[in-house]
Amino acid sequence: MSEAAPGKGNLAGPVWAALALAVFLTFPFILDQYWLHTAIVGLFYVMMASSWNLLAGFTGQVSFAHAAFAGIGAYTSGILAARFGLPPLVGLPLGALLAALLGLGLGGLCIRMGGIYLSLTTLAFSEILRLVINNEYQVTRGTMGLKVPTLFGAYSKTTSFYVMLAAAVLVLALIRWILRSDLGLSFRAVQNDEVAAASLGLPVVRVRLTAFVISSAMAGLAGSLYGHYLLLITPHIPSLDLMFLVLAMTVIGGLGTFVGPIFGALFLEALSEYIRVWGEFHVLIFGLVALGVARFAPVGVVGLIQGWLAARRAGPAAEENR
Amino acid sequence: MSDFLLYLTNGLVIGFIYALSALGVSLIVGIMNVINFAHGELYILAGYFSALFSVGLGLNPALGMALGVLAIFVLGLIIERTLIRPTYGNDMYSLIITFILSIVLQNAYLFVFGPYPKKPPNWVKGSTEVLGLFFYGNQRLASLLLALAVIAAFFVLLHRTWFGRVVRAVSLDREVASLMGIDPVRVNLVSFGLGCALAGAAGVILTPIFPVTPTVGVGVSLTAFVVVVLGGMGSFVGCLAGGLVLGLVENFGAAYISSGYKHVFGFIILILVLLLRPAGLFGQRRL
Repeated sequence: MSEAAPGKGNLAGPVWAALALAVFLTFPFILDQYWLHTAIVGLFYVMMASSWNLLAGFTGQVSFAHAAFAGIGAYTSGILAARFGLPPLVGLPLGALLAALLGLGLGGLCIRMGGIYLSLTTLAFSEILRLVINNEYQVTRGTMGLKVPTLFGAYSKTTSFYVMLAAAVLVLALIRWILRSDLGLSFRAVQNDEVAAASLGLPVVRVRLTAFVISSAMAGLAGSLYGHYLLLITPHIPSLDLMFLVLAMTVIGGLGTFVGPIFGALFLEALSEYIRVWGEFHVLIFGLVALGVARFAPVGVVGLIQGWLAARRAGPAAEENR
Repeated sequence: MSDFLLYLTNGLVIGFIYALSALGVSLIVGIMNVINFAHGELYILAGYFSALFSVGLGLNPALGMALGVLAIFVLGLIIERTLIRPTYGNDMYSLIITFILSIVLQNAYLFVFGPYPKKPPNWVKGSTEVLGLFFYGNQRLASLLLALAVIAAFFVLLHRTWFGRVVRAVSLDREVASLMGIDPVRVNLVSFGLGCALAGAAGVILTPIFPVTPTVGVGVSLTAFVVVVLGGMGSFVGCLAGGLVLGLVENFGAAYISSGYKHVFGFIILILVLLLRPAGLFGQRRL
């Protein structure tokens, strides 16, 4: 959409990314345990929001099962580790794989019927998963929460932070690579004009399904990592509350921009620590802000800034990038 | 045997209520191609209003219900005008906006009405012996009759009035309808309001039986969505059939298979429909 994709010769993007990464690498040395925890949770949301944005922002499909897929990832590796003693490092890819397979099944059922059907089916899936987790409490321990081991070694916030950072960088790099590849091009073609894309011989349904499966697998990976960091998996991970947070972060940050969801996730997670004293008011406030942004500035904060920068440069090159 | 008949009766009663609730979703999706994810939240708001008007303000319950539905109709008009209209032609944003709206409303209810179940007083007391086999609550029977009356009124509106003809024309072919001089923007506005009012009607009718809490709306929405997909998007006869099928399957499933998984049966139906007949029982595939 309004992604100001820099050309091959433009080094601004990589330089900014390297700077941001350098700052993040210092976090365990400059933040206390509490804010380090916030940073870890923030990185989880970065993965969630960015992968949801890959689907919603770049192919125009709204899945309400993103949190549910994170839950699939978390419960898969969590149950395998807690009940069968499987090392979490083995369970981790299995969780992402199961999320991808379920995404393939769900998407295969409904994507050919159009975007509305995907939203309905994923919402239903999310609710059903909640019921199954609560009903099968002998396996999942329901709302009591399932105790799971760490990913590896002894518990350490610093290790967890670096693991989460590495995963986030991996996911973001993958998203960046996809967006610049032919696949990313076909994502946008499908979003902008389905009929035109189909008339050019693009397999529209398969492109959409591919985006859904990739995005779901990333959610599974993020959820699994998050579960092994929290050491307690509860139905909060696959809840619609968490789904809403991911959606609000993406929308406020900037749907359809690469940086938007990253900014939105870190900003909202940090902000929710500051306004925690207001209790559950913060969900209401995020909701109202997200509603306002979606209504009046659908490109989000980052989209607005990018538009403003492009207008300031006001050259023909800037016009091309809009 | 009388158990079986009881489940059957329950299934039919709930089925008609499901159908009533789904009519609103179907109307909006047929006309505007918009799914209103805040449908269930409007249903519970009507329930809260009817409880508030009749318990809090001491109004006649019937008047309280009418005011509740009217309030939801007006709220629906406001939502359409301020939030939905700017998204015309962009299905994705209407999905996102109505989903955010549903979360906002849920949290607002928590603050305004509190977490505890609320209900207006029953309209009637006691129970009636049905066919000499089992006793059935009078309130449920009264709710059923009122739901049937509202459904009948909706079908009369749809098939016997000028407005109904306009609605059917627009949902068949928007462009041709607008060439015939119909203003699609106004049809959208009124249809959205009416769709919300139908959610409100289902809410006020059912709240005496199932008290409302801030979060029950998700289940209400999902049930309505399953009914609409099962019946066929935009088909009103489909809503009736879909509602009855779902009501019966859920009640027999809960009775004979597992009550904890009552709502999972709806999801299984959804998957079967998408697998076998994706356009639904009465839907035409419009691609």
